[in-house]
Amino acid sequence: MSEQIRVKIADYAVKKEEGMLITVGLGSCVGVALYDSFAKVAGLAHILLSDSALFKTPSNPAKFADTAIPLLLEQMISIGAKPTRLKAKIAGGSQLFSFERSMTSVGEKNICAVRNVLAILRIPITGEEVGGSVGRTMKLFVQHGKVIISTVGSEEREI
Amino acid sequence: MPELPISEEFKLDVLKEMGNIGAGNATTALSTLLNYERVNMHVPEVDLCPLVDIPDLMGGAEKSVIGIYIRVFSEVSFYAVFLIDFESAQTLVASLTGQDHPVMEEMGRSVLLEVANIVTASYLNALSHLTNLTFLPEPPLLVVDMAGAILGTVLAETSVAEDYILVLKTAFITATGNIEGNFLIIPDQNTLDIIVRMLVDGACQ
Repeated sequence: MSEQIRVKIADYAVKKEEGMLITVGLGSCVGVALYDSFAKVAGLAHILLSDSALFKTPSNPAKFADTAIPLLLEQMISIGAKPTRLKAKIAGGSQLFSFERSMTSVGEKNICAVRNVLAILRIPITGEEVGGSVGRTMKLFVQHGKVIISTVGSEEREI
Repeated sequence: MPELPISEEFKLDVLKEMGNIGAGNATTALSTLLNYERVNMHVPEVDLCPLVDIPDLMGGAEKSVIGIYIRVFSEVSFYAVFLIDFESAQTLVASLTGQDHPVMEEMGRSVLLEVANIVTASYLNALSHLTNLTFLPEPPLLVVDMAGAILGTVLAETSVAEDYILVLKTAFITATGNIEGNFLIIPDQNTLDIIVRMLVDGACQ
C-alpha cells in the first residue's frame, strides 16, 4: 500500500508521484488541493482562517489562506511543480452551527479568501464542494490528482 | 497591594482548580437530572494543547459525534463544547424523558440542548461565585458531525492567533457506564488573564 500523509489543521503537505494526502474534518476550514499533472506533484493545505493581516502576531503561516497557499506553492515548486501547470480543487468552508447572526460566517470568509489568493496566483479552480452545513474529509491521490470528498452519512464522491 | 508575579505554571494550577469546581457543579447538575444516578467525573485536564492536535482530542478527528456549542459572552468570553457519542446521547434522552425519542428529531435535540444549558449554567455559576464576574451564555447550538470538523470550527470561531490553545477538558461517565461524554472549555487569550487575576486577587483578600 502506498504512503498516506495526514494533513492536520493549520498544516500542509506535498508529495510526488504516488500515495495520498488526506485531511479529515474540514468544518469552516477550507482544504486546498493543488496538482501538477505533468510532474505528478500534489499539495494539500488545511486552512483555518482567512487573513494573517488581521493578527498582530501571526505565527504559523499554514493557518491563513493568504500565507498558506503561497507556502504550499513554494514547496511544490521545490519538488518539481510548475505554477502554470497547477490546478486547484477546494472543499470545506461550511457553517456547522447555525448562528442567528447576519455576519458572514467564518466558512464563507475562508472560501472567499481562498478564491482570491488562487486568482492572484492564476491557479484555476477545477472542482469544488464548499459551503453548506456539513464537515468534510478530503483525499488527494498523488498519482492522478483525483480528489475524493466524504461526509458523515453519505457516499464518497469525486470533485 | 503590589501585583504578584504569576508564573505560567501557577496559572495552570489556578485554572485546574477552577475547572474542578466548575465541573464538579456541572456533574452534580447532570446527576440530579438523571434522578441522582451517580456520575463520575475525571479530574479536569488543563493543557496548553498544540492547535494542530485539538481536532484529535476526542479520540479521532473522523469520529462522528454530537457536539453542543455554547458561546459565553461578557467581560470575558469563552466557548463551552459538549461532545457525546450517539449511544450516550440516546441513553441520556431516554433516561430523561422515559421514552425513546430519536436524538436527531425535534424532541431528542431539544432534550440534549436543555441538558447542555443546565450543565453549562451550573459550571458558570460556580465560576461566577469564585470570580465575581457575570457570565452570559448564548443559546446552545447542536450539530452532528466529525469531531474534527466541530472542534476545527470552534477554533476558527475563536479566531486564534496562537499555536497553543488552552483547553479545559472534563470527561464524565455515569456509574452504570451507559452515558459518557466530554465537556471542553476553550477560553480566549485575554479571558485567561482576567480570570486568573480575579481568582488570585480573591484568594489574597
